[in-house]
Parts: sequence; C-alpha cells; structure tokens
Amino acid sequence: MANVSFKNVSKRYGDVTALDSLNLEVAAGEFVSLLGPSGSGKSTTLNILSGLQDADSGQVFIGERDVTNLSPEKRDVALVFQNYALYPHMTVAENIAFPLEARRPKVSTTEINRKVQAVVESLGIQELLARYPKEISGGQQQRVALGRAMVRDPKVFLLDEPLSNLDARLRIRMRRDLKALHSSLKSTIVYVTHDQSEAMTMSDRIAIFDKGLLQQIATPRDIYNLPANLFVANFVGDRETNQLHGELVEEGGNCFIRGNAWSIPLSRSSEQIRYKGAVTIGIRPESVKLGKSDDALSISGQVVHTELAGPDLYILAALVGGEEVSLRCEPGTSVSIGDAIPLNIAEDRIHIFDPASGICLSHGVPHVGR
Amino acid sequence: MATVRSWRLRSMYRKLAMFLVNLILAVAALFPILWGLSSSLKPSEQIVEFPPRLLPKDITFEHYLRIVADNAMFYLFNSAFISVAAVLLALLTGALAAYALARFEFRGRSTTMVVTVAIMSIPIASLLVPTFTLLSTVGLIDTRLGLILLYAAYQLPVVIWMLYGYFLSLPIEIEQAARIDGYSPFATLRKVVLPLSRPGLVAAALFVLVFAWNDFVVAVTMTSSEQARTLPVAIYFYLGFYGREWGPLLAASIVSIIPIIALFVFLQRYFMSGLTGGGVKG
Repeated sequence: MANVSFKNVSKRYGDVTALDSLNLEVAAGEFVSLLGPSGSGKSTTLNILSGLQDADSGQVFIGERDVTNLSPEKRDVALVFQNYALYPHMTVAENIAFPLEARRPKVSTTEINRKVQAVVESLGIQELLARYPKEISGGQQQRVALGRAMVRDPKVFLLDEPLSNLDARLRIRMRRDLKALHSSLKSTIVYVTHDQSEAMTMSDRIAIFDKGLLQQIATPRDIYNLPANLFVANFVGDRETNQLHGELVEEGGNCFIRGNAWSIPLSRSSEQIRYKGAVTIGIRPESVKLGKSDDALSISGQVVHTELAGPDLYILAALVGGEEVSLRCEPGTSVSIGDAIPLNIAEDRIHIFDPASGICLSHGVPHVGR
Repeated sequence: MATVRSWRLRSMYRKLAMFLVNLILAVAALFPILWGLSSSLKPSEQIVEFPPRLLPKDITFEHYLRIVADNAMFYLFNSAFISVAAVLLALLTGALAAYALARFEFRGRSTTMVVTVAIMSIPIASLLVPTFTLLSTVGLIDTRLGLILLYAAYQLPVVIWMLYGYFLSLPIEIEQAARIDGYSPFATLRKVVLPLSRPGLVAAALFVLVFAWNDFVVAVTMTSSEQARTLPVAIYFYLGFYGREWGPLLAASIVSIIPIIALFVFLQRYFMSGLTGGGVKG
C-alpha cells in the first residue's frame, strides 16, 4: 500500500494531447476512480502509472519512489485489464501463481500454493483451479484476473474498466464485491471507468477527465453537488443536467436570471455571486418539479417527450424560447405529449456557470446534507 | 416437391463433382509417390519391364538393403541433423527478430522490415557463388555446420515474416499483463508469447525443415565429402555415369519422403489456430 502522485505529467500522440500537465495525488489506501469519456486521458493516466506507456514530461511517484523511468515489471503494481488478459495456456492456478513465480529471490512452491489457495478461497473460485480460462465464464474470468492481482499484495491496484464486459446484474454485484475487497485489503486502488455510476458508488474520490485535462477531483458527493464546471455537471448523474442560457441581472439588491421569456429570482445575494452578464445555468432533473398552474413563479412548458424509467417518470418539456428542460416526477403523474405544464425550478439548487469557460460561478444548495 | 427434389439432386451433383475434383488432385499428387514405392519393391528387371505393372509381381527389399549398405543411414542422419539444427537456429534468431519488430519501437524498424521482405525475393541460385566463396573463406565449406548456417540464413527472412505476423495477431494485453506481473520483455517472450505462438512456430519450422530436408542444389554445391553428404545428394549419386540404378534410387527417395509425410500428419493439428481462445474477452 502506497500513495501515488503525478507531478506535471504530459503525454502527446503526434498532434493530440492525451494528457496535459496532470497533477494528481492519491493517498495510501484510497480508492480513486478516473472517470471520463473515451479519449479523455484516463486510460493514458493509468498506463503511465503502470509503466506500459512513458510520460513525455513530468514525474510519477509510487510511495517515495520516483517510477517515471522504471519499466512495468519493476513498479510493483497490479493491473486488472478490461478484457482480463488471462494467460490462455495456463490453468487458473498457474495464472494466479504466475506473478509470484517472477519474484527474485524465488518464492518456495509451498508458499506459492498457500497464497494461491488463500486468494481463491477469498474469491470463491477454489473449484476452478485446474480449468483453463476458455473453460470458465466471464464472471469467473474476472475473478481470476482479480486473484492474479491480489496474490501479489502490490503497492497499488490498477483496474482498467474491469466490469465493462460483465452483464448488468453481475456488474452491480461486482461493485459491491470490489468495495468489500477494498475494505478488507485496505490497498490503494486506481480505478478507470467511463461509467459514472460505478465511480459514484465505489470511490473515495473521483477524478474527472476531459480532453486530457483533469477537470475536478473530489468525493462523489461533492462531484455531484458542487461540480467545478459544466462538463462535470453533465457527465455525472444518471441524466444530463438541464442547461438554460440567460443573463444574470440585479435589481434593487435582488438577483434574477432572465432568459428567453422566463425569469427566475435568486435568493443568493449579488455579493455571493460577484458576476453580472450572460450565464448558463445548470439544474438537475430532480430539482425541477411539476408546479401548480396558479403559481406565479412557475415557468410554462410543453411536454415533448415522456420516458417511464421504473420508479421515475422523466418528462422533457420545451420552454417558450425553444430550450428544453427535463424533469423527474412520480411515475403516476399523468401527462401526455403536447400538454402545457407549469415548471417549478428550485432556484436554490441552480448552478451558475460562465458560458464561455464553463466554470461554475455559484453552486446551488447540495441535494444531500454535507 | 419438385423444387425440393431438384435442389437435392443439385446438391448431390455438386458433392459428386467436388469428390471427383478432389480425387483427381489426390491421384495426381500421390501417383508418382505410390509408383515409386511400388517400383522400389520390385526386382531390378521388373522395374523397367513393358508394359509396366502397377503392383509388383514379386516383392523384394534388395534395394533397401543396398542403400543401407551404401551408408544411406548416415546420409539420412546428416539430413535430419542438419535440418533440425537449421530449424532451431532459424526459429531462435527469427523469433527474437520478429518479436522486436512486432513489439518494440526503435530506429530503423521499418527499414529492417523492408530489407527483410526484399531479401526474400532474391533467388537462391544467384547466391550460390557468393556463399560458396564466403564459406570457403571462413573454412566452413564441405561441413555440416556450413549447411546449417546457410539453410537457417536462407530461410530467416521467411521465418521472421511469418512470426512477425503471428506475434502481431496475439492480444497485446496478455504481454502487458506479464510485464506488470514482473517479467522482463525476454521472459515475457519465453513464458507467454512463444507458448501461445505454437501454430506459428510449427508453420515456420515446417517451412525451414522442408527447405533444408529437400535441398539439393545448395548441398551439392557446398559439399563434396561423404562426411557432410545429405540424402538428396546421395540419391543423385545413383544417377551414375554408366547407368541409372532405378531400384536404389527409388528406395532412397521413398526413405527421404516418409519422414516428412509422417511429420506433416503428426503436426497437422497445430495448423489449426485457436490456441489463444479464452485469454481475453471482447
């Protein structure tokens, strides 16, 4: 178990900047997810940490050791690959023992057997020891890949989208198992994923990447409630954050956001925002409610689409100016396409962003207590 | 009903036609060998009798005893020893070269690839004289070692090319996993890449083996003494100045053919790929 730090690490492929001066600290024993769309730099970060790729500039430390120029076999990290990368010509037992056999001075056979046995027991795959990878299911292959990483007791565990090849149910079950594994091993884990719900459910902290840049690193709660910018607000959450364009104006000490045929008064004071002019506001679907028609503050919209997602009904409504807002309602709500509905936007939950840079100027109140 | 019947009929005709084509190919390929086998078992006077007989009237092993007496077993040993050594040498050097070309970035890599492919197009006949002088200069003319080196060298580009393609087809994550599990690039090649490349290695080995085993031109040019003589050269000596000794010639030919056929039959299963199944998902 060791901490990991990236200091000004950059990587380019030709003209494309895959990673732009990354500074990232992962504490010893921490579970950190690297989250982002494909091509965001999260996998590059992982590969540079594992040594499979070299950084163009900057330094990488594992513990106190500068590993920037060390080859992968000397870094003492374990990596679970997206496609598991089991050795097809070896049995499950041989696969798990393989990292131990590389150790110098040699580990005795009895010691290797003891460790392999301990690992397979903790993963519940004892009966698979003599099988070959092609003879076991995807979920079992996944466990073998985890076992191969665990058996070494490495400084850092790296997991590269390890659940993306599993079916939906198993994936959610494995989340729990991984989390349990982390609390029992107490090891440092760097977990790469493009699935925000995986990152939200398992991590101590999430690092969000886009276009080779680290956008924000924070706890799942803060990532969700206090997004640093529009990208983070949009990427995290089951549904996209609604975005409306307007202007922040102040009249007699009160702030308003004035849009195309709508206006929302804010309870925040102008000192809290310290900004005037064009803004983009972000509001999550759960902070928009179906209002009452006699409510003066509600904005009128027209239903263009409804989507029943089990416990929730999502409604997409068009505002007068043409902008669209989605809202989450009780599944029993009866609306049909074309209906005019009043929308109640919880003004205290509005995030205000600079439209040019996307940086958040003022956060709304968190959805859950901090 | 009528269409079903005509469809069945057509598929039957098609099968029949396919069978006939295969039969013709098989007969064309196998007939000379079978004819040689049959003739090698005939007494000398029956070999050239007219009209020829497909099956021998009397079976004799005199020609086989004769070639054994002529030291054929030693030439057979020479052929086997030289071929196997050439295969091992070509695979060892070829695998290292191919792996470096397939998986490492280095200066001059693409040039090396181009040169490797270009070398394959040089006909061996045009290399005979220069290699002869080269071998004489280094004192390896008329030695088994000389032939081993030549065979390996002639086939090395092909071996590199074949293994290069095979290595590229392996999922790179498996090698990356081995590196992260603590193995050096060389250990990764030995413990993971080569075991997974068995079909490719077998194919490349057969390529070298068949070349070395069948070679006549190089061997007859580079060797003169019995000590370095291979079986194809020995066969040639039955085509003497004063007459053709068909019996021993055919017997020696059959002896030289059998091991290679046996080997192909034995190794057939390695031609089928699929050894990497189950290693990676997706």
